Amino acid sequence: MPGIVATSEETRQDEVRYTQARLVEVACLDCLARVGVKKNSDHHTQIQWSSAALADCAEFRRAETRPEGRDVKAACPRLRASIDAAVQSGEIVIGAEDGY
Amino acid sequence: MADVRVLDKGTAPDRFARGWHCLGLVEQFKDGKPHAVEAFGGKLVVFADSQGEVHVLDGYCRHMGGDLTQGSVKGDAVACPFHDWRWGGDGKCQGIPYARRVPLRARTQAYPTAIRNDQLLIWHDVEGSEPDHEILPPELPGLAEEYTDWTWKVVPIEGSHCRELIDNVVDMAHFYYVHFSFPTSFRNVFEGHMATQFMESKGRPDVSGGYGDAELFLKSEATYYGPSYMINWLDVDYKGFETEVILINCHIPTGPDSFTLQYGITVKKPEGLDDDTANYIAKKYADMFGGGFLQDVHIWKNKVPVANPLLCEEDGPVYQLRRWYEQFYTDAADIAPEMTDRFEFEVDTTKANEYWQAEVAENLAKKAADEGAEMAEA
Repeated sequence: MPGIVATSEETRQDEVRYTQARLVEVACLDCLARVGVKKNSDHHTQIQWSSAALADCAEFRRAETRPEGRDVKAACPRLRASIDAAVQSGEIVIGAEDGY
Repeated sequence: MADVRVLDKGTAPDRFARGWHCLGLVEQFKDGKPHAVEAFGGKLVVFADSQGEVHVLDGYCRHMGGDLTQGSVKGDAVACPFHDWRWGGDGKCQGIPYARRVPLRARTQAYPTAIRNDQLLIWHDVEGSEPDHEILPPELPGLAEEYTDWTWKVVPIEGSHCRELIDNVVDMAHFYYVHFSFPTSFRNVFEGHMATQFMESKGRPDVSGGYGDAELFLKSEATYYGPSYMINWLDVDYKGFETEVILINCHIPTGPDSFTLQYGITVKKPEGLDDDTANYIAKKYADMFGGGFLQDVHIWKNKVPVANPLLCEEDGPVYQLRRWYEQFYTDAADIAPEMTDRFEFEVDTTKANEYWQAEVAENLAKKAADEGAEMAEA
């Protein structure tokens, strides 16, 4: 049984709105990874990975363990470039909708 | 006209999180006495056996409920003050001095332990699973040789659920309003059992008592390893003097509406500085971040829980963070892929910084004018 439960249907709609709305699928230009992307502005980026996409990411597979015990992979530069290209080509439309 | 927005306070979690929880520096438990630690709605007893190995059991004797934390350590067991029943580190009753034999069912709850970075961690899972050593926080390299001793603090917090503390991972704007610093860059990555915040910030020149002054630049990388143990690597630049600081931010839930916050600071000893000076720097940073936690606590104590936060474009990914946090409150078999799938979010801090720079400039001008007026009166 889950722990933190929303008590209203509106809240569940908000959860979907903030986590899923307007995600555009972007295919990496260098590997097989496909991720969901949203850009509310030039500097804002949201990237939703799946375990399949993560397994496909060549860059992350190559990434060595980071020093000082830090093991979070910051970002994939190739995917970044692919997202930039998707913005250029108009696949990703930049802009937010009422805060999401 | 739009409908009035309603706050959904949600329902509180019906359990305590699964995962490793830190009880503090291990050394304090090695004095040959039983120690009490409030945790998970009850009390634990922590004691060291004759080999110096530290054990954690439920705090109450399975015989007649005596408080083991008020007992004593006898040999490798903790002895109950009520009838002297002896409990070993594995949870088994080792002996009842006045009895012919020990009942076969005399077994109490023992918590699996691990030592990380001089700290004692225990595994908690309401499902009673085996401890997952794969997801322990990492050992910090060079800790013994290159860093100061830990400055460690314990802060009991009543009246807030620990999930309020977790929300800080994504809360860009509160750093300006609550901690008086400017976040100039702010990113999050969630993956598996880890949630990370990357932030660059500088202090506000118009107010004191926050994270440093205008000349303090922080480059911060903070990762939660599981639900309650965060390692925060901080590169601090103060007037060109660079320091590597490590902050541990961890907590133990104690009840449905309370938790014990613990934090520790260690500083990489700068070359050419003696230990006393390095320890002094560590203490200063501990005071600064300690003050920061108290600023948060004041907010938490007075706010209401919100299951449906209303967000603007400059806010961080609150819903995705909570989706990640949910995995620790879900039976292991029911963890959904989206709770652990990698997620990245970069906050656009441009608009916020434009506004904040202007506000700070205005505050400084007002301050200067007030001081000028006072001078004229004197």
